[in-house]
Amino acid sequence: MAEAALDLRGLGYRTGAAALVEDVTFDLHPGEVLGLIGPNGAGKTTLLRLMAGLLRPFTGEVRLHGRPLPDWPARERARRMGYLPQHFAPHWDYTARELLRLGLERGGSAEGLEDVASLHGVAGLLERRWSSLSGGERARVLAASVLATRPGVVLADEATAALDVGQSLALMGRLRMAAREGAAVAVVVHDLNLALAGCDRLALLHQGRLQALETAASLAEDARLDAAFGVDFVRVRTEGGLLLTARGGG
Amino acid sequence: MIAWLLPPLGLLAGLMLGAVTLTPAEAWSLLADPTQPLGQLLWQWRLPRVLAAGCVGALLALGGAVFQGVFRNPLAEPYLLGSAGGAAVGATVALLVALPLPQWLSLPMLAFCGAWGATWLVLALARLADGTSVATLLLAGVAVAALLGAVRSFLMLALSDETVSLQAVLAWALGGVQTPSWPELAVLAALTAAALALCLALARGLDLLGLGEAVAESFGLPVRRFVALAVLAGAFVVAVSVVWGGLVGFVGLMAPHLARWTSGPLHRGLLPRAAAIGAGLAMLCDGAARALLPPAEIPLGLVTAAIGAPFFLLVLAREARRG
Repeated sequence: MAEAALDLRGLGYRTGAAALVEDVTFDLHPGEVLGLIGPNGAGKTTLLRLMAGLLRPFTGEVRLHGRPLPDWPARERARRMGYLPQHFAPHWDYTARELLRLGLERGGSAEGLEDVASLHGVAGLLERRWSSLSGGERARVLAASVLATRPGVVLADEATAALDVGQSLALMGRLRMAAREGAAVAVVVHDLNLALAGCDRLALLHQGRLQALETAASLAEDARLDAAFGVDFVRVRTEGGLLLTARGGG
Repeated sequence: MIAWLLPPLGLLAGLMLGAVTLTPAEAWSLLADPTQPLGQLLWQWRLPRVLAAGCVGALLALGGAVFQGVFRNPLAEPYLLGSAGGAAVGATVALLVALPLPQWLSLPMLAFCGAWGATWLVLALARLADGTSVATLLLAGVAVAALLGAVRSFLMLALSDETVSLQAVLAWALGGVQTPSWPELAVLAALTAAALALCLALARGLDLLGLGEAVAESFGLPVRRFVALAVLAGAFVVAVSVVWGGLVGFVGLMAPHLARWTSGPLHRGLLPRAAAIGAGLAMLCDGAARALLPPAEIPLGLVTAAIGAPFFLLVLAREARRG
């Protein structure tokens, strides 16, 4: 397998006495889409923020292309790594062009803005202000801005949370496109079926620990999934692959 | 475009308005002939005064734009945030306490320390609560401004004696531009230009900060260091404006807003326009302050508050609707 774009070694993070992430080790490879799944409070978002360098780990380290994250100059790191937040609400009413420009400029210049815009299907939105964009348009503009420098590592934190099913699939498609171009993609996904359909490998987190790291197809069959979520999943085989649904409660 | 028209308009109005009100033609002919007594008056008093008001307005606007950017809050303003109040406390100490430093040095230094300390205090109080929401920041600012106002009043009562005119300190605290000599005006103009350059150097960081801390950080902005630097720069700008213009409210609120409406939110375009609008507004208001009750002068701070407070309420209502 190719050299890891991002490797995590013994990563730990805590607030007060509570360990939010404990001893997590894995590699993220160019060309793959890795889904981080787990029940609420499992530490997915914390782990992703550690991977993005937005939080400093208490133990262990994250290496980007073999070099520890804190050793990268901020600009260099920003160009090589893209981060899609869970909720994005700019404080000022930027136009799509301005947002794209801010994203592109981390590479040093704003050249090729029009090309990036057409690549991500936002060429027609460039002069529109954020407040006038629909949810799906916003997701496209943000993704275009974050992916503008073609970062080698893309980290998305439940970026599909506020999107409808079509928009979620479209965003996953864009992340897949980035992976095809060689990016290593890690994405926190709440919807297990979306994770199964859109990811190559899945990392299952529970209580801050990595419970399993398998291909999506094999983790779907794994009993650890049921244990982590505390439910018995019904596995429905379809033409498109396995579908998970939780057995009714009560 | 409107932004660039305001300074010449303000300059013209400032030259015409005053205890003796002139027509534009009269003002022009007097400026052209400084040998006349009225022409001399115009050159020695009114013109430097108007230009000083313009510089103070530009500084307030820059301070407001930087603080709005740093706090990501459209209602952040030097006066409302307490930073101008902090500068005023520092300046009051410099004016009333016998210090081992000459006053031309101690006044700006203490004003700067006061502005810086007050801004950090508001930032820390707001962070203790829930970050930088409009309401939290305003409440923290109001509390700090009230405290600083009390401290300043106490200092004025406790420390003033026959050697320092209380009225002079009070007039300055209500906001009013002193008429500078031409060399003094040159210093103020140079400081204003330096402030503009300093703020422009922060422009890209302020744009990134507008995306939220996490995205700004991921786009390569060292957020904590940048905020510390920007607060320092903002405190410098506010201190210079307070030293020359006293406590003048709302220009720092209105100018960046009007600029944002004309140029959009990117700071590279916003900052120079805000400075121009602030300069124009302050010159207009200063002219009005001199012309409304001749031969007396209304404190400039009262005129800006009369226009600025309704504007503030308008913006507040808009923000409340946005949630």
